Amino acid sequence: MAFHDSAIIGFAETKIVEKSEHDVCALGAEILGSLIKSTGVEKGAIDGMILSSSMTSAGSVFWSQLMSDALGLSLNFCQTVDIGGCSPVGALARATMAIDSGLCEYVLCLYADTQSSADNRPPKPFRVEWTSALGYLGPPAGFGLLTQRYEHQFGLDYRALGKLAVTQRGHAVLNDNACEKLRKPITVDDYLKSRMIADPIRLLDCVMVCDGASGLLVTSRKNAERKGFTKAVIPLGYGERTNHRINEAIVDVTDTGHRVAGEAAFRRAGLKPSDMGSFHPYDDFIIAMMLQMEMLGFCKQGQGCAYIRDNDFTHTGNLPLNTGGGQISAGQAGLAGGGTNLIEGVRQLMGEGGKRQVANRKTALVTGIGGIPYGRNWTTSAVMILSSDA
Amino acid sequence: MTQLNDTSKVDREPPTPLSYTRPFWDATREKKLLLQFDKRNSRYQFYWRPVSIYDGLGDLEAREAAGTGEIFSFTIAERSRPPFQGHEPFAIAMVTLKEGVNIMANVINCTSEELRIGLPVKLCWLPLKNGANLPAFEPVR
Repeated sequence: MAFHDSAIIGFAETKIVEKSEHDVCALGAEILGSLIKSTGVEKGAIDGMILSSSMTSAGSVFWSQLMSDALGLSLNFCQTVDIGGCSPVGALARATMAIDSGLCEYVLCLYADTQSSADNRPPKPFRVEWTSALGYLGPPAGFGLLTQRYEHQFGLDYRALGKLAVTQRGHAVLNDNACEKLRKPITVDDYLKSRMIADPIRLLDCVMVCDGASGLLVTSRKNAERKGFTKAVIPLGYGERTNHRINEAIVDVTDTGHRVAGEAAFRRAGLKPSDMGSFHPYDDFIIAMMLQMEMLGFCKQGQGCAYIRDNDFTHTGNLPLNTGGGQISAGQAGLAGGGTNLIEGVRQLMGEGGKRQVANRKTALVTGIGGIPYGRNWTTSAVMILSSDA
Repeated sequence: MTQLNDTSKVDREPPTPLSYTRPFWDATREKKLLLQFDKRNSRYQFYWRPVSIYDGLGDLEAREAAGTGEIFSFTIAERSRPPFQGHEPFAIAMVTLKEGVNIMANVINCTSEELRIGLPVKLCWLPLKNGANLPAFEPVR
């Protein structure tokens, strides 16, 4: 089966910066070079490449071809995955499928975006017809509607959300690749007092758009064993759900696609939430992480705040969470941002966490969130379970 | 008490209709809020799509909404981009119409203290510069 039979043999990431001086292809080159050096796999052996989409490439309909040309890669499989923030984990899932089918042997999963310095999205994208005339700010407004509804249905302890913000900041301080502006500790009061953006969404609920890149090199598990890659990380299970509850005219926004994607991923991996050594949830907004705790089965729906209060999410805690700071505290590298959560999970499993290494490096849970649709929570939910000793 | 901005002074860009959404925007010229109705499944939907979200088939009817409902959720924009910049705070809500659909709209003639989930609201209109109108809602008083 594709997941158990593939192996991640290398990871790489650039420092995340507020604005990069380098073009997005130069960031891609930095990742490629880093992976070639760390794995010893030569450029000519890499015969597959899967990109995440990016804001910088938004004007290009030939994006994966353009990047592969810039990097000088001859490929048997070449594509871009365009499911928003789910694209990085989605690319890894698709890499395992391409390898399993025999189309290619070594796949470069490359996540690079310079949204902050070069946002090339068209001024009138398809989806704004029903929202732009309302002053809808996109993700913060969407999460404002979601948060207000959650509070109405279940109640909400903003201090609990603040605890997650504080924990992630503490992790960013330990992460040299995190955006320097964000590498300062904060308190729960800082979180509560940060200015409102889309009430009840505060500034410290939100990601800051940055530039950066990351990537993985993936091959078959047999090949990894044959070549002696002892630090290989195995994708054990994956689930992906797009347009959860789309056939409903009134959508309960507190119920997300992670419920479906998570069940599929855990079933395929043969594992359960309590087996996870670390948790790297996609974090475009703080409350998104709490909803994932509920939907993935760490706690019951509506119990997220209590679960946060009762558990320790620091890298030495019982459920280490986004140990590099996540996107909220390391910076969001545009649509490549999901790579930050994913690479941190892989890094921990390979035992390269350094000052922030977690104790349990057997399994890690990584997720994605992609797209903000009209009147629902988000468009795509993805769940990836990784293991170091499958 | 914080009066929320009614956004009537905002120089909004009128939405550009698609081939299958044009009937909706055309009807707003006569201040009619049209929903799509799937006769096969006897259910409404919003926003306008080229198919029924219930069975994937086309042939949807356009039916006028009564224009009454209640707040499903809301957010108060404290920050925004042009042309809304400087008009904060203003409200964006999901409104549950009595026909059984949610629609996103600005809530006007309202204070932040008044705005709550479950608040009964009625349809009103904000003029657009192309002669079409934008549906909005205000509290039923």
